[in-house]
Amino acid sequence: MLDILQAVSDGVLFGATYALIGIGFTLVFGVMHKLNLSYAAASVGSAYAGLLVLEVMAGAPAWLVFLCAFAAGGALGYAVYLTCFHFIPLRSPLATLMATVGMLLLIDEVIVHATNGMPQAYPAIFDDVMLRAGAFTLRGDLLLVFGVAVLCMIALMVLLYRTRLGLATRAVSQQSVAAQLCGIRVGQVNAMTFVITGLLGGIAGALIGASVGALSPLLTTPLTVKGLIVTVIGGLGSIPGAIVAGLLVGGFENVLQHFRGVTERDLYVMLLLFAFLVFRPDGLFATKGGRD
Amino acid sequence: MLDLKGVARYFGGVRAVDGLELTVGDGEIVALIGPNGSGKSTTVNLIAGVFPLSAGAIYFRGEDIGGLPTHRRLQAGIARTFQNIRLFGQLTVWQNLWVAQNALEDRARRGFFARWLGGRARAREEIFQLLEFSALAHKQDELAANLAFGEQRRLELARALASKPKLLLLDEPAAGMNSEEIGQLRERILSLRQRGVTILLIEHVMELVMGVADRIAVLNFGQKIAEGAPAEIQADAAVRRAYLGGEA
Amino acid sequence: MDFYFGLAQLVGVHTLLGLSAYIVLLTGQVSLAQAGFFAVGAYTAGMLTVLAGWHLVPALGVSALVSAATACAVGFPALRIKGLMLVVATLAFGEGVRLFFFNFDYQIAKGEVKVGPLGGEGFRQIRFFPEHGWSTLEVMLFIWCFVLLVMALLWWIDRSRYGAALRAVGEDELAAQAVGLNLTAIKVSAMTLGGGIAGIGGGLYAHYTTHIEHSSFNILVATFALAYPIVGGLQSVFGTVVAVIFVQAFLIEGLRDLGDWRNLLFGALIVLAMNLRPRGFLDARTLASLKRVFGGGPRA
Repeated sequence: MLDILQAVSDGVLFGATYALIGIGFTLVFGVMHKLNLSYAAASVGSAYAGLLVLEVMAGAPAWLVFLCAFAAGGALGYAVYLTCFHFIPLRSPLATLMATVGMLLLIDEVIVHATNGMPQAYPAIFDDVMLRAGAFTLRGDLLLVFGVAVLCMIALMVLLYRTRLGLATRAVSQQSVAAQLCGIRVGQVNAMTFVITGLLGGIAGALIGASVGALSPLLTTPLTVKGLIVTVIGGLGSIPGAIVAGLLVGGFENVLQHFRGVTERDLYVMLLLFAFLVFRPDGLFATKGGRD
Repeated sequence: MLDLKGVARYFGGVRAVDGLELTVGDGEIVALIGPNGSGKSTTVNLIAGVFPLSAGAIYFRGEDIGGLPTHRRLQAGIARTFQNIRLFGQLTVWQNLWVAQNALEDRARRGFFARWLGGRARAREEIFQLLEFSALAHKQDELAANLAFGEQRRLELARALASKPKLLLLDEPAAGMNSEEIGQLRERILSLRQRGVTILLIEHVMELVMGVADRIAVLNFGQKIAEGAPAEIQADAAVRRAYLGGEA
Repeated sequence: MDFYFGLAQLVGVHTLLGLSAYIVLLTGQVSLAQAGFFAVGAYTAGMLTVLAGWHLVPALGVSALVSAATACAVGFPALRIKGLMLVVATLAFGEGVRLFFFNFDYQIAKGEVKVGPLGGEGFRQIRFFPEHGWSTLEVMLFIWCFVLLVMALLWWIDRSRYGAALRAVGEDELAAQAVGLNLTAIKVSAMTLGGGIAGIGGGLYAHYTTHIEHSSFNILVATFALAYPIVGGLQSVFGTVVAVIFVQAFLIEGLRDLGDWRNLLFGALIVLAMNLRPRGFLDARTLASLKRVFGGGPRA
């Protein structure tokens, strides 16, 4: 019983990173109704970029690495917007989708090229801290992952619901033509969405690196898949949905890993997704209306 | 031809159409008018099968079609046009009509493969006639997306006719047309009636409605508030209230 | 010379993979499940020739049928969802198939050695071609027979009313229903056909590489399947072939001298291609001018 509880809590804590990736997918979808398949790769890429700090300044503190990953995420988000969305006409959604796939491959290859495909150690924070309650433990680094992720989500919510930029973003996501008529520059809002999701992705990548202890280009594909699954289970376009679904998927997969091993784990995650597609195809928190 | 019995459609708490009774006789042109949001387009969508009914029944030539999917209703003989034109933009004008013909093939006589993959020659003649009728013959190889607005409207009407419908639902066919184009549209509608096509016309443009309709039904807030010949409707106090507002 | 024959084999198999996505894309369904159908075909054909000792041709027929049936089964639930939900659901299906083969063991003893799929180890020794003494050229011609057959079929479909119906559904589902097209029949039949094509491609793939494993059917393969018709253009089947040759022959083989940089260029060129030609290499205008150059080709 206790080991199940342990598996669930570890999984849920790590699931916070899935939630962050899911938010990135869902936010871009909500605003532009487009899928940015390069997002998870860009997140891992910006986490790698954080490591550049260590190149320049050996022994730099971990928070500086995180900060650099955060900034790189924003920059990369803007770059993805420019290369995959800005110049491609709205009427060619397939071209946009394919361009983000190209970007995914490019980022992946840049990582492989720069590191020769070797996994890179990532600085961890609080990895020596353990909270114990009898045999039940909470890993300090996972708690940190969870805490930072929650902070990011709160910051995002404040940004969306308490600022003018957030208002503009929501206006564009609901009725982009009407928003344009009200003097909102849709292109700018779209670009800002990519920067914001990029920043989130940078943090998410760094958190994953910190809690796994290393980064590898092999992370991007599973992370892309998990992020998309989280997005769908949560309901496309729903931020609270992505959060809940991220934690759910994290806990679920860790329990199944505990019982069935790592090779079968993802098979059950797919089954969970199919269960949702059949019984709740709109996801946990479907966003209704306004879409024509 | 068409009988609506207590037809209703609710969207959440909104009663878009509420207990509508309407009969369209064989060969008649009936116009359905009413202010914006009165439920006209919803009625068309209910007859065509885009939304399921919330209550009531729809009879077409004596049969209850309320539960049929859209494509089966077309095969039964109900074709429509859309308020906001919906052509297949990346198909040519010719292909738009060709693809719409598939419903009228004689299923018993021709097998699946013949129906889908063959039979160009026989189809051709009918398509040419439709192109002539719509004054689009010179544009037959143009992509539908590249047509001018008026041409797109004509093509959509031709596409609806390609399945040789018995009942034609026209959802605001004159929207955005100038007075000359409306005149041409009126001629087309009247010539269709002569060929025996029954028409349910949803329209705002009174110039067209008064010129072609045998009977007019007026909707307001999803309910029928008046029905009668054009002259009667023009004189009806309830209709004026609905259009002009106020309590008088 | 064998190098070029080998390359032509690769191009042929990838063309089949791309065409399987092409017909599904016509109906507006963006499916990342093609790698899954490809895998089902590969394992089916491989098991039939290696374990049951069948000849390759009937084995390919069965693999096409099994993949088509799988695709048909995917097609029905896929009707309920659209757009991006479908992308994710089909991606998850493809991954599910891959993970299934990752955990799939079915080995029998054949003489000294055990043959058959073995989980993560993969399925080795699919040696139909070497056992029957086929040369690289013969294998290449054999593969291209199937490619040309499928291309001819799709080209014919494209010019039929069924083809126009596929495109009509892809353009506007509501209007397609309103002109009497049965959405279920059209979308599921396209998915089934695509599955069958992927099944043949997968069967051929298993035999010319002689060794398949779960990672041969990962998301990258699924995205490639989609990339070919999109990069090539959905106006005609030839676009897919052009894109496969561009990607496999030019980018991957032709730029081999660039070493590491080739991979970097690869993603960048796809991004660039989509920015410059959002409707693919062979878009409507290019096709029209090609027809003019080659003198009054068939009218679409």
